[in-house]
Amino acid sequence: MNHSAIINLVPGNTFLHKLTGTTKVRLFIVLIIYVTMSFDLPIILPLFIASIVALISLKPKWKTIRTIMIIVVLMNLFNIFLYWVADPNCGQIYNNDATVLVKLTNYFVITKGTLWYLGVRLLKMLTSFLISLVFIMSITPSEMAAGLTSLGLPYKFGCIVEIAFRYIPDISRDFENISISMQCRGLELDKKKTSPFKRMKQMILILIPLVITSFDRVGNIANAMDLRGFGKLNKRTYYAEHEPSKWDKVFMVIYILLFIFDIAYLINNGLGTRSTRMWIYW
Amino acid sequence: MKGANACTMGYNINYPSFDGFLFLLDKKEGNMQKESIGKILLGKWDTKTIVGVAIGVALFAVLMDYASIKVFTNTNLTLAMIVPVIVGGLFGPLPAALACGLGNVLADLIGGWGMWFNWSIGNAVLGFIVGCLKLYGADIENGKFDVKQMIIYAILAIIGNALAFGVITPICSAILYQSELEITFLQSLFGGASNVLVLVVVGIPILKALAARNAKASNLTKE
Repeated sequence: MNHSAIINLVPGNTFLHKLTGTTKVRLFIVLIIYVTMSFDLPIILPLFIASIVALISLKPKWKTIRTIMIIVVLMNLFNIFLYWVADPNCGQIYNNDATVLVKLTNYFVITKGTLWYLGVRLLKMLTSFLISLVFIMSITPSEMAAGLTSLGLPYKFGCIVEIAFRYIPDISRDFENISISMQCRGLELDKKKTSPFKRMKQMILILIPLVITSFDRVGNIANAMDLRGFGKLNKRTYYAEHEPSKWDKVFMVIYILLFIFDIAYLINNGLGTRSTRMWIYW
Repeated sequence: MKGANACTMGYNINYPSFDGFLFLLDKKEGNMQKESIGKILLGKWDTKTIVGVAIGVALFAVLMDYASIKVFTNTNLTLAMIVPVIVGGLFGPLPAALACGLGNVLADLIGGWGMWFNWSIGNAVLGFIVGCLKLYGADIENGKFDVKQMIIYAILAIIGNALAFGVITPICSAILYQSELEITFLQSLFGGASNVLVLVVVGIPILKALAARNAKASNLTKE
């Protein structure tokens, strides 16, 4: 996966890019709670459509996005297949339907309820992925740190997330470089020619130089930050955070309403007990 | 007058003799032994630790994406499990826990398999237990990692996986996700087994290599 294509360090100029970091982080947290809390189609489907609209509005490079999309969809389909293998009756808890459609053996049956449940689950995973993708593509590391600090977290925590987010593209580029230079020396990493476990064993040869180069960087970065007086005072402000615009206020109303809805839904369904109903079922 | 003063000062500098350096070395070692257990557990939160944890988080997220094989639904055998061990060896258990938990959240964010906070919390607990290297005397920074410490490390890896994925993660999934307990236990079994495999089979050689790299002056003795 090409991380430098989705993580941007310079703010863009579309509508979502221009919101403040605070708005983006808060909206993202509320939406993640929203999508993880339920298996109801009327809750997930509108968000799925909204996130596709948001992704289009960001004007991404479709060539890189397409490959990421294909990988993620295939991976999630495989995940769901394994989920079905582990428990072919998993949908029954949610909709009490055990009508058998196809019977392969006594254990491997495809029931109507399970099929519906797995479909909703796939949609939920894809929605969660789309929200994350839109969030990552619309935010810069500094804005993320500003948003996390605005939630009341200590700014050192925000700084950890910021540096980590900033260095993901660098480290993945290092990984690719080391992998290529190891292949030049005769290390076989081709997926067709080596078995997965052998490939894993050879990955260790990439891992050692990667770990050493990554952690050698720590001293340099820490010295640079110390020289600029990091950690001297208890509070700090962010250069990347600008004044909230009109649309930030609109989004503030939206995320507050959604947050209230989240809390109400969670309390209504009973915290800690298994929710056994689905709103819509075919 | 001032110039003359500076000049005399310049000539009167006492360069520390060789004995002076050895004295410094002794003092440093004495200080290291005095660190209390509580201080080791919490870690020292200076700029270097913050950057170290952040690099650990980034490395964890990248390795989770590149260097992993799927063993079960949403469960990977991943080399990323090495990261908390190294962060723990360099900075202490609490930074290791933060690197592991936060790294998992970030990996979920860029990976595209959905957000699973129950596993992130489990990973944080595992990171804390595995990162206790300094507590039993292993010191990667100064090149100290012998056979006894390897055995303790392997035992801790097994205990940590059992505790984190057998107890913590199922409790968190019961609270946060309200269901999927049977499958969570199956995932725990597969994930825990592959983690132990990675931590022991890959972790010990890497720790040994890092310790050997950092052991700069271990063969010098004071006469």
